[in-house]
Amino acid sequence: MQALLSWECFLFLWVSRMKSLKVNGVERQFAPDVMPGTLSALLEMLGVGPATVVAEVDGRIVRRDEFHQTQIKDGQQIELIKLMGGG
Amino acid sequence: MDKLTIAGRTFDSRLLVGTGKFSSPQVMAQALVASGAQIVTVALRRVDIDNPADDTLREIDRDRYLLLPNTSGARDAEEAVRLSRLARAATGIEWVKLEVTPDPYYLLPCPVETLKAAEILVKDGFVVLPYINADPILAKRLQDVGTATVMPLGSPIGSNQGLKTRVSLEIIIEQSSVPVVVDAGLGLPSHVAEAMEIGADAVLVNTAIATAADPVEMAAAFKLAVEAGRKAYEAGPRAPTRNAEASSPLTGFLRDS
Repeated sequence: MQALLSWECFLFLWVSRMKSLKVNGVERQFAPDVMPGTLSALLEMLGVGPATVVAEVDGRIVRRDEFHQTQIKDGQQIELIKLMGGG
Repeated sequence: MDKLTIAGRTFDSRLLVGTGKFSSPQVMAQALVASGAQIVTVALRRVDIDNPADDTLREIDRDRYLLLPNTSGARDAEEAVRLSRLARAATGIEWVKLEVTPDPYYLLPCPVETLKAAEILVKDGFVVLPYINADPILAKRLQDVGTATVMPLGSPIGSNQGLKTRVSLEIIIEQSSVPVVVDAGLGLPSHVAEAMEIGADAVLVNTAIATAADPVEMAAAFKLAVEAGRKAYEAGPRAPTRNAEASSPLTGFLRDS
């Protein structure tokens, strides 16, 4: 019993250290040491390629040339949007 | 063929082409060349995080074509304005094809939300090309708020039905002081020729080219039809008459009475 509580306690502490971002509607968890610090780092981590990507961070539009200087924080909502074929 | 001018920019081609539904980026690029188009529409969507490197537009030469982002998927003015601002941030240009289509079955544009969005976007510095039903009153209201064109539909998007709205299109063309771009439902070169013959300034085609068995040949056929229709309009077509009018002389017949 003692051991189980400790494990739960450990799990709670571990989960509570995790950072999260909601990217394109999906919640994503990041351990603190891999949590991307900027939009550029997030795109690199996700492998997002197209040159026409634009972002919204908590509803604020961010151009691609501003990605590297745009800090991202735990709990933010991020939309990554691109141009694609359409009529 | 005289040139098309929209918001101070001049174009040799009067055929706008959409970039959706092509089987591959390469086929799309070849079809765009064959169409002679200088304005191509694109959409904005979320990046697919499971396929994040996908870039269907990589073959589009941005020096050759003016990208015209649309607001497809917007169900009201607020969504359309948001998409327009994202498109501007993505492309660096301020042109937008405004589409507000709350009804997913017929994809008919909402006149109320379209007018509301157009007012906001024009004030925000956008060059607005609104997709509308063929409603002459709405077309006038939009031109009055400062849209660069009006884009009335021939029939529902992607339906290939042709100019079902011809009577209303003729009224819009007669009354409009901005270019009239007939958009949607144009399934055959003969449909676009008809639109150009009645005086449309340009047409927009996507599905009919992209989903043809040979999109490149079909793009070439649409190019010819747009040019033929425009030339016919410029040449001054005669109105239909109820009775026959003989083409050959009515004298000198080989009979005595």
